[in-house]
Amino acid sequence: MIAKILSYALNGLEGVPVEVETDVNRGMPAYEMVGLPDTAVKESKERVRSALKNSGLLFPMNRITVNFAPADVKKEGASFDLPIAISLLKASEQLVGSRLDGTVILGELALSGDVRPVSGLLPILISAKQRGYTRFIVPADNAREASYLDGAEIVPVRTLGQAVAHILGTAPIPPLAFSSFTPRPSADASDDLRFVKGQPMARRALEIAVAGGHNLLLAGPPGSGKTMLARCIPTVMPELTFDEALEITAIHSVAGTLGEEGIVSARPFRTPHHTATTVSMCGGGNRTVHPGEISLAHGGVLFLDELPEYKRSTLEALRQPLEDGKITVSRAGGTATFPARFMLCASMNPCPCGNYGSAHRVCTCTPAEIRNYRRRISGPLLDRIDLQVEVDDVGYDDLSDGEAAESSERVRERVNTARRIQRARFAGTEISTNAQMGERELARFCPLGREGNEVLRAAFERLNLSARGRARVIKVARTIADLDCSEDILPRHLYEAVSYRLGEKLGG
Amino acid sequence: MTEAERAYLWLRACAPLDDRGRVALLRAAHDPAELFAHAERYRELADGKEFGRYGERLEAVNRFLAMLDGKNIFAVTPLSDDYPEALAHAPSPPLALFGKGNRALLRERLFCVVGSRLIPPWAEKLGKQIAEELSARFAIVTGIAEGGDCAAIAGALPGGKLISVLPCWLEDCYPAAHAALKERIAQSGLLLTELLPGEETRKYTFHARNRILAGLCEGVLVLSAREKSGTLITANCALEAGRDVFALPHNAGSAAGEGCNALIKSGAYLVTCAADIFSVYGMQSAARKTLSLTAEEERVMEALEGGDLHAAALAERVGMKIFEAGAVLSSLEMKGLVAKAGANTYTAIARGGTRREEIDNSD
Repeated sequence: MIAKILSYALNGLEGVPVEVETDVNRGMPAYEMVGLPDTAVKESKERVRSALKNSGLLFPMNRITVNFAPADVKKEGASFDLPIAISLLKASEQLVGSRLDGTVILGELALSGDVRPVSGLLPILISAKQRGYTRFIVPADNAREASYLDGAEIVPVRTLGQAVAHILGTAPIPPLAFSSFTPRPSADASDDLRFVKGQPMARRALEIAVAGGHNLLLAGPPGSGKTMLARCIPTVMPELTFDEALEITAIHSVAGTLGEEGIVSARPFRTPHHTATTVSMCGGGNRTVHPGEISLAHGGVLFLDELPEYKRSTLEALRQPLEDGKITVSRAGGTATFPARFMLCASMNPCPCGNYGSAHRVCTCTPAEIRNYRRRISGPLLDRIDLQVEVDDVGYDDLSDGEAAESSERVRERVNTARRIQRARFAGTEISTNAQMGERELARFCPLGREGNEVLRAAFERLNLSARGRARVIKVARTIADLDCSEDILPRHLYEAVSYRLGEKLGG
Repeated sequence: MTEAERAYLWLRACAPLDDRGRVALLRAAHDPAELFAHAERYRELADGKEFGRYGERLEAVNRFLAMLDGKNIFAVTPLSDDYPEALAHAPSPPLALFGKGNRALLRERLFCVVGSRLIPPWAEKLGKQIAEELSARFAIVTGIAEGGDCAAIAGALPGGKLISVLPCWLEDCYPAAHAALKERIAQSGLLLTELLPGEETRKYTFHARNRILAGLCEGVLVLSAREKSGTLITANCALEAGRDVFALPHNAGSAAGEGCNALIKSGAYLVTCAADIFSVYGMQSAARKTLSLTAEEERVMEALEGGDLHAAALAERVGMKIFEAGAVLSSLEMKGLVAKAGANTYTAIARGGTRREEIDNSD
């Protein structure tokens, strides 16, 4: 008898339906697997055999053929163990009377018959539901993650025995209740702008950057609190919506980095080390494609500490995703597209020794050293960083000052207001924040008036502003005007926008 | 080009001699023309080096000249009528100068602006401004390094009145990062050197170049110099050549300005604006026009008069929010009245007692 069980494979964030067909024939006992299974899938033979035995079920001593359809999709991982076991039981007529049509089964088996969790469950559930499948049997350890899928009957199983009993109807398991989503305030309570001493300029730049979705570069001497400031960025970002959370969770589920909670409820803050390779940054893998740091930072912050220390090729690879908000990775095993809309926050020292431009300390670098250090960051990358601000050397008085600074909470209120204005402005367009504006939107939403144009002209001439720098200034000025709740971009907004650039010596 | 000029060029570029040999032969022969015509008479002075026959010597010079011509490079010898007279009277004037660009600049009055490569941002801004104003009356002479040289170049190059003396052959570039800048100078200003193709840039070529910088001009302005700075060599050469030396005053104790302050202590003119230099030469500074400032800008300028301030401290003093103060500061920066002195610290730039006035470039 032939049994067919439905399961899913994963390609990037897309689920691909896979049918597990098992045929049990008379003949010499044998166990064959066809349909492009990889090693982990082939090894399931032994796990299934032991799991069946240890669950008190019968492993048929016949000629067994397992086929995976479609046969041209590479099947990876251990999530086919449970569907293979079930289809084997069905083919050997141990599950008589069960109805498994349209039920998607996923799970890895332990030798004891326990069902282990699989990675990438949420994106599979989402894809399957889009295809109209609503009944699922999933590992109980994945239950929290699965419970965020609404309108589906999801049965969590802890052992193979439980699954069989449920399918036979002898001990039905109640389907999961839908969990409602509560966004968690981002990051730890210890990261809060309240605890950032001094740094009024950097704080303001940070607020503007978050409000308009701009990228931010913090330049300053070592130990001035650049990392601390960056860590506060998620705390002033708007709370996640459920759709955003699902999208982010799907990525983290594929990467296998999902925690206990089962859903990503706080904005991610990723800090890849500067030894990161292009593949770890953008995504890749031997055959299947795994998301990289920029995708894991989707919806949150990618913090690159000591920007010039990163490999140049790695930084250049960020340019296209910064522009498009997604990345398409092509590997031998196929092509996958991951979302990658993140806020880039980078930090750097002004020179190799870190003291250039400092009021208190003496820089010991030669001009050539400084030039080489800065040349590691390309102009095109700097052009994608709208706000560039110098972080002050903190004096002792600032540190011991008992006065509490403004908290993240209050900054976030202003950010939310500015974001509301932007949503209204960009309603019906592709984009949602000022930073994403192109030339067309700039012309439409950012008229400058005669006076404003004069200011920009002066900036062009006196401050050696580049043509590309112009768009940057206008976008930032638009955000500043939004924070000011001003319909028009006034000269004072432009002046302030111009001030968020590093001295000529520091890049752009 | 006359026979006598060819003689200079032969001696400089074609004769198989080093500097010492050239000096010895020239001293013996008194005149390059004599040497060119009868080189074989002086062979024993040159360790028996072969000078060839007269015809061969002439051909070598002509080949060299054709090579220069092909590269749009001209040569100036002490016999050329545009060899700067000041340089001719300076100690050890070069036998020949090679140039690319606007040759007419050699006939202008020349003034030298130099500074060390590491220069405080305010001194760079001010240096650029002074160079720009000076270029109304002088052609500015400087090097091509980062920092002080670049400030002078940025100020004077837009008006085309800039001579940059290189420490290397005209087609080489030191520092390499300034290749594009060098091209721009060749186009609208003038590049000069005394070196030949293939002669390498060494420590002593910088010293030799500094002697030309000082020799060419009527005075030298030093924007910044540490206690031991190559820039001070230019100042010393200027003193030897009897030129005026000017220096920007720096804060006492600031490392980047010790050399300048030492110069002032030993008698150099203290300069805070171009007018200080003009007055030494009995010139009127250019006409000025008034800039109108808003009330806020006035307040910020007044606060900055007391000394450099961090943007946050400034905002507190004038009772503005930090970002409002930031906007006013960048507007003042565009008007050229303030400059960044460091991370988020600003300084007011004085404009010769009439601070809030800007040069009217229309006349």
